[in-house]
Amino acid sequence: MATPAALPPLPFNPSRVRSYVLRLPLFTRLVLLAILVFWLLEFQTMWSVVQWGSVIPEEAGFGTMYRLNTYPFIHLGFFHALLNVLALTPLLERFEAEHGTLTAVALFIGPLSTLPAGIYILVEKFVLHRNTAVVGSSIWVFLLLGSEAIRTFKSNPYFSLGTTKIPTWTSPLFACALVSILVPNTSFLGHLSAILVGYLLGLGFLKIFVPPEKVLRWIEGKLNLLGRLPHYVSVDQKTYGRYGVLPTTTTGGERGTPMSFLGSSQRLGPTTTAVIRKLRNNPHFLFVHLPHILSFICIVAGVVWLLLLPLNDYSRQTYISENALLPGQVHAYFSGSEQHIFRGYKKELEDVLAGQTEDGQERRNDEFTPAVSDKIQSILKATGLKFATQNYEYTSSGITHQGQNVYSIIQAPRGDATEAIVLVAAWKTVDDELNLNGVTLALTLARYFKRWSLWSKDIIFLFPPDSKAGTQAWIDAYHDMQPAFVQPLPLKSGALQGGLVIEYPFDHRFESLHILHDGVNGQLPNLDLFNTAVSITGGQMGIGTNLQEMWDHDDSYEMRLETIMRGMVKQGFGYATGPHSSFMPYHIDAITLQTKGDGWQDEMALGRTVESLCRSLNNLLEHLHQSFFFYLLMQTNRFVSIGTYLPSAMLIAGNFTIMAITLWLRTGYYPGNQQSPQASKSTKEQAATATDKRDDKQSPAQPDANNIIERQLALPLTLVVGLHLLGLIPLYIFNNISHKYYPTATYTSILANLILPLLLAAILSHGLNPKPQQYLLIKSFSLLILGLFLSTLATLNFSLSFMIGLLCAPLSFVNRINPHTNSCLLRYILATLGLALLNVLSPSVVLLAACKYFGVDVETVLTQAAFGWDVWGVWTQVVVWCVWWPAWVSGCALVGFSLFSS
Amino acid sequence: MTVLSLLTLLFVVALSSFTSATSDYHESLNLQPLPQSALLASFNFRSNESQESFDERNFRYFPRALGQILQHANTKELHLRFTTGRWDAESWGPRPWNGTKEGGTGVELWAWIDASDDEAAFAKWITLTQSLSGLFCASLNFIDSTRTTRPVASFELMGDHPASSNLHLLHGTLPGEVVCTENLTPFLKLLPCKGKAGVSSLLDGHKLFDASWQSMSVDISPVCPQSGECSVHIDQTVDIVLDIDRSKRPRDNPIPRPVPSDQLACDTSKPYHSDDTCYPLESTSEKGWSLTEIFGRGLSGACPLTENVDQEEPVCLRVPHEREVVVASGAVETKKPDGFTRCFTLQPSTPFDLTIPEQEVTTHVPLDEPVLSAERTIVGHGQERGGMRIIFDNPSDTNSVDFIYFETLPWFLRPYVHTLQASITGRDGLRRQVPASQFIRESFYRPAIDRERGTQLELALTIPPASTVTLTYDFEKAILRYTEYPPDANRGFNVAPAVIKLGAANGPNHPIYIRTTSLLLPLPTPDFSMPYNVIILTSTVIALAFGSIFNLLVRRFVTAEEATALTAQTFKGRLAGKIVALRDRIKGKTAKTE
Repeated sequence: MATPAALPPLPFNPSRVRSYVLRLPLFTRLVLLAILVFWLLEFQTMWSVVQWGSVIPEEAGFGTMYRLNTYPFIHLGFFHALLNVLALTPLLERFEAEHGTLTAVALFIGPLSTLPAGIYILVEKFVLHRNTAVVGSSIWVFLLLGSEAIRTFKSNPYFSLGTTKIPTWTSPLFACALVSILVPNTSFLGHLSAILVGYLLGLGFLKIFVPPEKVLRWIEGKLNLLGRLPHYVSVDQKTYGRYGVLPTTTTGGERGTPMSFLGSSQRLGPTTTAVIRKLRNNPHFLFVHLPHILSFICIVAGVVWLLLLPLNDYSRQTYISENALLPGQVHAYFSGSEQHIFRGYKKELEDVLAGQTEDGQERRNDEFTPAVSDKIQSILKATGLKFATQNYEYTSSGITHQGQNVYSIIQAPRGDATEAIVLVAAWKTVDDELNLNGVTLALTLARYFKRWSLWSKDIIFLFPPDSKAGTQAWIDAYHDMQPAFVQPLPLKSGALQGGLVIEYPFDHRFESLHILHDGVNGQLPNLDLFNTAVSITGGQMGIGTNLQEMWDHDDSYEMRLETIMRGMVKQGFGYATGPHSSFMPYHIDAITLQTKGDGWQDEMALGRTVESLCRSLNNLLEHLHQSFFFYLLMQTNRFVSIGTYLPSAMLIAGNFTIMAITLWLRTGYYPGNQQSPQASKSTKEQAATATDKRDDKQSPAQPDANNIIERQLALPLTLVVGLHLLGLIPLYIFNNISHKYYPTATYTSILANLILPLLLAAILSHGLNPKPQQYLLIKSFSLLILGLFLSTLATLNFSLSFMIGLLCAPLSFVNRINPHTNSCLLRYILATLGLALLNVLSPSVVLLAACKYFGVDVETVLTQAAFGWDVWGVWTQVVVWCVWWPAWVSGCALVGFSLFSS
Repeated sequence: MTVLSLLTLLFVVALSSFTSATSDYHESLNLQPLPQSALLASFNFRSNESQESFDERNFRYFPRALGQILQHANTKELHLRFTTGRWDAESWGPRPWNGTKEGGTGVELWAWIDASDDEAAFAKWITLTQSLSGLFCASLNFIDSTRTTRPVASFELMGDHPASSNLHLLHGTLPGEVVCTENLTPFLKLLPCKGKAGVSSLLDGHKLFDASWQSMSVDISPVCPQSGECSVHIDQTVDIVLDIDRSKRPRDNPIPRPVPSDQLACDTSKPYHSDDTCYPLESTSEKGWSLTEIFGRGLSGACPLTENVDQEEPVCLRVPHEREVVVASGAVETKKPDGFTRCFTLQPSTPFDLTIPEQEVTTHVPLDEPVLSAERTIVGHGQERGGMRIIFDNPSDTNSVDFIYFETLPWFLRPYVHTLQASITGRDGLRRQVPASQFIRESFYRPAIDRERGTQLELALTIPPASTVTLTYDFEKAILRYTEYPPDANRGFNVAPAVIKLGAANGPNHPIYIRTTSLLLPLPTPDFSMPYNVIILTSTVIALAFGSIFNLLVRRFVTAEEATALTAQTFKGRLAGKIVALRDRIKGKTAKTE
């Protein structure tokens, strides 16, 4: 049996409140209305309602008798009225429902207002001799509570609290006490008298005031109140108490079925349910159209997300996270006579360069010859530093890179070779210019730093002959991870905490510093290091800083976006952008400072910058870890952190996964060989979408739920795995042949890319005659691997994942064109168009196009890539040949199948 | 004659002097300029107490604080070292006292404790470390079981002990401890003159801890001559290598600013030399200095408690005799016949100073070649595993070197001893992989127990002449519980230096000790804001994903009509229907159902 309707049980339900309010009986409504009207009346200032209607003991008299009836309707303000209404409504409603409207009117207009007021006036005026006016319907609240309490007492006399038994009739007294304590300006006496009357009512002493039932019936019958008044509670309708027998019919309709929670949720979202039901009834849309729409939305959202990043709302101002760094808090003393020494060292090096020029040759020989190495060593020796050399030799693409690193260590005066900072000055800069000033500056700084006793970390000065291989050889050997043709280091120090590279490749003064921070494979140094450099350079030294070769960055949206894009391209290719890049794989944060422009900053300013940076790094108590390692910089002082930018690449990677999962579902429930009568003949321009559409329309609109078919996995799995393994062949070829053959290899690969999918398609369709389901499975597996890989890659190298994801985006939408639905000619045209489009997006063609666009030689690019693979450990090629290329070939083969299907 | 033999001589002299007196005090200071403007200052303070008075707690020169701790902890022999910096053997030659008076970076403590068994010894050891921790203001109380080892062959008893005693050797290191003035002050308080007089009055924290290398040691051991009563000897040393240039900088202007252009020493022979271009000329002459300049304060006369104040020559200087040395009046200079040593007497309460002007010299004090050089580094990268590489270089062309290599590794560094490999590089520079057993004569290995004790590895090695031997082994880095990380977790964890004991180099009794530098081991460190983020994130994910998926899985979506039908179909529903019907029949009513 259901609980009575009058008691709305929890959980609170708004719809139930609404229905409750709508079902309030007549007298309750009138009372509420009166309270509202009197409250509104108080807003006017001419006539004080409170003064007029409240019970004031002093003014008690026959002329003011009306007050005994008006005071419950009048309140002192909004909250007074609201709280009383909230408390009164359920009580009054219940009373009226139990006793009928007429009885309620008779009682509440009569004795139930006058009696408590009378008691109050008596006590207040004649016992206490005070004159406190009372007003408000709380009188009725406590009165009804009192009567309820008596009723509860009859059925349930005690309320046990431990061993003590509290009679339940006292509960209104507690409530009254609590209210008078908690709520200010409440009349305790008034409430008390109301409770007293309530007790009397509950005990039945006030029955004499209740009009006899016969009279009530007569009035009701004569006036036809039941028919005329809405919400009228008839004498017959009254419920005779809550525990009486209720007719089942009254509750059934209101309370609903046991599943009413479902009903309520349906009421909340009728449109959503309708959409879901519609979807369920339209599996063709659910399995075929919806995934395409979702995938497309994912791709668009991913791109739009990236475009939003430069906005102020999505990017943040940079800040120094590591308090120990204290950038720019020290005075840099590198100046004065140190410049004389700088000039002296520079002359020494220039002499060596002049000396190694053959007679009659104008251009001096800039190579890092043993003579240069010896000169650097002799200067270091004269300074009293420990120094050592390291020979290395790398062979990549048939080119040998060899050289000799010179390095020296300033041992921290009280240190114990546990930590070190590296300062690198390569003989040749990233752009292959002679870094004479940089090397000289490093030598001068070495001599200068030696005098300081404050170093807590060893400082290593490294002079590699070039910016590509030298640092890599050195850092590999430092961790004893060097290949056989690289010498181990004879002199070592502790764990490297940071690296700085100085480049000053010209003789004039410079204007600003260009900070390079990209590492190998898109790894980045801790943002704190970059921020420290910017803070010191800009804040302390007053030198401008640039980023990503953006020389005139005006902080506009376009400039910010361009900076991000340049950063992403570098990150995506994953090559070393400078000597600092080699440090990154070993979790050593490093940056390159390049002097740029023609201004008034001299080498001493650069020296002071480096000094201040070294002092900051020297302050470090822990390895740089506080700030971000994953970020996109759009300005030297604005960045986006991984949490903000990652969804962009994830969305693009997710599009493949969505497609793969739906294809998997579709192959299980959705036999593709059934013919659909309503296959449309409409054509679309876009081959990619069109091919797909063809295939979709074949499916029946109403599939049988039991139509579960077995998936035949052998062929699709073998093909997809085989293609991924096949990717190792181009990977090997492009990293191991001589540089001369790179253009040839590229063109060959374009040709191979053209033929291989068609060959695959021809062989498979004639040899194995795969089922339509298997085509879908091939696509599903291929996209699944792609999606999985790209989403994983996004956390490591966001940019690479994003770029590959975009280039692979069409693969989500290509499919085999069903031979049964289209005319032969149309099918061939569409398939050829699709293949042509896909071939434009093949790895090799993209490489060629990019080379054309940037105006660089394919051979150079591939030589560099192979060098990166051999020396730096770049794995962009693995992603290209073992992830992108196999997915691409599967996509092409799928389109190719439509040419060969019987 | 070399510094090595001189120091050995001092050592022997010290030992012989011990035998004669029952309770006396000696102090000495040896100064020796080293290459690259360094100056080695070796302070030595020795005193003793007869065993009888020691047992009766009747202390005269022996510090009472230390004596009581030793008695309380049943410690028969104690060696305590505080060291900072690294000894540059390449430039400075062999170590003072043959390395016997120095420890690894930080604090090193080893002691022989008389106890019935290992547990009792360890309990006493903990008592000892706690007490010394208070006495020396050092974190010695952090030497717990994980940092305590029981070396087998690396340390020897220095004193004479009765055969009946059951001695346990315990050894502990704190490589990360920073030694500073708070350790020096209690150290000086142990001296009879407490740094107020005698050579110890030179010891000033500011200069001492600005040194390039610095080591303080306390050695206590009982000595029992064949005839005569036993006595307890305490030997305290302070060895520092000061940078003369740096120490001479005035305290109010310690910043090494660039010198004014006119004071720049330039190589004027260079063709490009001009007012604004200068190739710096490093001066070849020996630096001039004085005790007051170097130590920041003067030597305030002899310590009056020294035996035979008049005959003692506590201050010795090792420079060629041709160098001019100006001493304060009253001091008597004695030139030793070896041509390099001169010693000075001190007068009580008469300040002593010693000034050496800058001078071009032709002869230099010869420095010995180190017998062996060792380098130990962590190689590899990544958070999971790494490798240890130890390089031993034997510079001698004729003699092979035998030694004991002792290292203690913290438990979170888990070595794989089976990966121990050796390679040898001759003077030809060719590196050959050889089995490690070719060099290892004996080995003692005690594996670590997580959170209880560290790894102990002792190897007896022989390095052939003129060769460099590289030992490598791999290790795995343990993942600590997040509460076990120190506040500066990302700095890395200190690994104590290895101790190398060269045996019979100068006779069987006086081994040479070499210590490698300490290491910094980066461990996988959690992002400590992570737990908070993770809890929030996982809670949200669980609440959202799990909640809705679970809901979807267990809930069946049916229409209201279906629901009624389904309820009626189930056993429970039918049973309920039956009950209602039955009850209605009993009550004689007809239930109106929908």
